[in-house]
Amino acid sequence: MTERIWEVFRQQDEGDPMVHAGNVNAPDDELAVHYAREMYGRRGESHRLWVVARDAITELDDPDLLRPPFDRSHKKPGGYIIKHKLEAAKQRAAAETGEGSDE
Amino acid sequence: MSEAPAATLDAPAREALAELLLSVADDEFVIGFWDSEWTGIAPMLEEDVATSSIAQDEIGHARALYEMLSALTGRDADRIAYGRDADGFRHASLLNHARGDWAFSAARRYLYETADAVRLAALARSSDEPLAALSTKMRREETYHLQHADTWLRRLSEGASEGRERLVGALGRLWPDAQDVFAPLAAEEELVRSGLLVEPMRALHAEWQARVRPVLEPIVGELPALTPSLDGRTRRTDDFRWLHGELTAVYRSEEGATW
Repeated sequence: MTERIWEVFRQQDEGDPMVHAGNVNAPDDELAVHYAREMYGRRGESHRLWVVARDAITELDDPDLLRPPFDRSHKKPGGYIIKHKLEAAKQRAAAETGEGSDE
Repeated sequence: MSEAPAATLDAPAREALAELLLSVADDEFVIGFWDSEWTGIAPMLEEDVATSSIAQDEIGHARALYEMLSALTGRDADRIAYGRDADGFRHASLLNHARGDWAFSAARRYLYETADAVRLAALARSSDEPLAALSTKMRREETYHLQHADTWLRRLSEGASEGRERLVGALGRLWPDAQDVFAPLAAEEELVRSGLLVEPMRALHAEWQARVRPVLEPIVGELPALTPSLDGRTRRTDDFRWLHGELTAVYRSEEGATW
């Protein structure tokens, strides 16, 4: 049998994010699903599985695109403190809601 | 874990139910042990895990059935499972054969799972509430077993000539004994009368035939019309005697011990 690699993603409970669990070898999607179920779901640990042929995944790992050599600190949110602004906004919203409920 | 037996059953019905439970439990128990023989040597790692897991499921079903039988008869479940000699087993002759090669095990799994599916559908309609509930629960897991068995049947039959030849040989060899999953039970009249079994075994056998012939005959050619044999659940083989020695080895090493 010609085997392919299938990447398996699992969701622990409804609403949780799909997380990469690992992979399985299988000749086709039918057996890949069986094997994913056995490797990543047989103990009741998964609510949902996604099984994706590895060669169906479009990959980006070019360091020039992902980690360019220039300083990128201006693209990060660090240094911009919004904690106090956020608290003030929350208080304002609570006060407005409180007034609104009287009407 | 065990479900309470229907206290309302009269003595003949209880005895009949005990015979039925033992036959199903022994089938699941013995196929579970045979298939667990593949652990470590299945064709690929993932299949090894899948086959072993399915074998464990079958042992789990056997355990639930032995516990139900234990509640009905007052006998210890472990003792029923491990304390009998080989001739005391009541599994179908289909399960008397050693594991064989992969095609042989796949052929047997297909024949057994399809027969078990027909039987479980009937048991889910049993007048015995706990048995009906357990059968419904078992069917949820057996659906996956059936898919897995079906996948392998198609894979081998459509694949390279060697796999197909081995599969065809195995199906031909196992076909007569596969009928015996529906071998008549001694207390069958009572089982049907009390509604514990909604249809006689011969009706379930016909239903199974109608289901598997259209799938198997394109692969193996015309299959002979056979009826389940009267000793279909009492015949034992040297293969099974060997397995029995294996599966009871730990229990016999210290009888009565709690594991």
